[in-house]
Amino acid sequence: MASLNRKEKVPGFIKGLFSSALCLLLSSQVMAELQDLSEAELSEIDGAGIGLVLEDFMFSHGTDAPDGSGEQARIFRIGGIKSTDGRDVDITVNHLYISGSGSNYGQNLSPVNLGRLINPYRINVVDGNSIGVNDKAVLEIAAPALVNSIQGFNCLDAGAQVGSGVCSSRPRTEDFSGERPDIGLQMNVAVGDDRSANINIHAESAVIDGSYLRLWGDNERRQMAGQFKLNFYSPELSINACEQDGSACGSRILMSNFALELALGNQLQPVFFDVDGTGNFVLEVAAIRRPVPGQIGSNGLRANSNPEAWDFYEDYYSNPDYRSNLHIGNLSVGDRDFGSARLEGMLIQHLEIRTKDLAP
Amino acid sequence: MITTLISRVLGWGGLLFSLPLMAELERLDDQTMSDVSGQGGIYLSGDISINELGGPVENSYFGRCDDATKKCGARFAYRLKENGGWMVLDDIRGTFAFEGLTLRVRHIDSGFGGDGELFDRDVLELGLPDIVRYNDVRFKIAASNTPRPTDPGFQQTDIFSVQMRGDVIMQGNLLVFPQGNP
Repeated sequence: MASLNRKEKVPGFIKGLFSSALCLLLSSQVMAELQDLSEAELSEIDGAGIGLVLEDFMFSHGTDAPDGSGEQARIFRIGGIKSTDGRDVDITVNHLYISGSGSNYGQNLSPVNLGRLINPYRINVVDGNSIGVNDKAVLEIAAPALVNSIQGFNCLDAGAQVGSGVCSSRPRTEDFSGERPDIGLQMNVAVGDDRSANINIHAESAVIDGSYLRLWGDNERRQMAGQFKLNFYSPELSINACEQDGSACGSRILMSNFALELALGNQLQPVFFDVDGTGNFVLEVAAIRRPVPGQIGSNGLRANSNPEAWDFYEDYYSNPDYRSNLHIGNLSVGDRDFGSARLEGMLIQHLEIRTKDLAP
Repeated sequence: MITTLISRVLGWGGLLFSLPLMAELERLDDQTMSDVSGQGGIYLSGDISINELGGPVENSYFGRCDDATKKCGARFAYRLKENGGWMVLDDIRGTFAFEGLTLRVRHIDSGFGGDGELFDRDVLELGLPDIVRYNDVRFKIAASNTPRPTDPGFQQTDIFSVQMRGDVIMQGNLLVFPQGNP
């Protein structure tokens, strides 16, 4: 239709202009009708969230060796970090992948599902009252939820059957790729001109079910507050170092049946995010409030204390949800076994992390 | 609670599709329309560039990318605390190109290791393009005491920067659907 002439075009254009102007006009009128929802009203909202599932997903990127003319087809680099003596630190990511399990340390990439249709990744606004953050609407970004052990699968066993554990994501079977990806990262770090060997980190059949990030605003501190829970399970997490050309590799540090349950912030002690006056990032977990003198009896028993205060501290110190755990089934380096390691019931009582600018 | 500021320099140079092609479009009459059996989806190819040569703002701090003394990327600053400092996504620039991003509504009632049958609903399917070509995509994560670098007393700590170039393999379908009990 190359024969459209100028006369036909102009009215169309003007019509378009008018209709968009009309739209703007209409929408501005509608906007006048909108009313603020109070925090209390918002906190009542427990909306249908968005479920996300990645089907047959595969991700791979990295850095190629320079060709004859020094050009690199692919580059993946993290920089901008400085060492304490002021030299530039450059992290070159040789390979980052997310693949189906059985990838043989990222050699054979295959597709995998992330999340289940009946238990997907979720982006949600939750009623704070239902999760202990009173009268707040809380934004939640969550991995598939943990399920009861009748429906679930063992979080670590790559051959788990239904009814063996609390994880919802299923391991790979002969005819189904499952929902447990292999994740790996190969990188090397350069400080100034000194470049390290390649460091490889691989996690097989990884599961992060039950992890979430919750964000809300704190009224008193006028600040963003959050709660972060990371569950990470893998039957085999390995770390080793190789020559940069991949010719020779050192011993592999192998952590079998690796389970990390990290709780950073909770309802009583949220994590606060801020940037201070000099432009440095601050992450803080405030200390729990101290009891008012006399609230807790000198013998520490509930009968001699203010029951409400006593229950508050009892819950704070005994609730397993507030605590972090790390289990390693077996730690081995090369052909030496170090046995199993357990770090259980860590409670973060106060934390403050502040970045510091080393640039002159 | 989060105050947002999109800095002046956020210049989206891309989305250079189709405008010149509009003159070629022809109206379909009802008869012709009734013969069309839709594919029920969208196939997208794109080339998105952000400040590849520089943003629209030129001042003491921002300039063209060939001027080594100036920053040329886009900047996005957001605040986490009232009267606090700003988190910054700084110096955003580069080009992404992809072919074959698909968008359609799909009914799922089978597959997914038995979940499909239980699910039996419609989802919005975003088909990833297999390969996304990055041409020197860069950005920086930083923390700053003022939203704009030209504000008085500006101090900034760059936490880290990322540079990506080449073909990124990104395969699969992203399925989006409502979840929970409204």
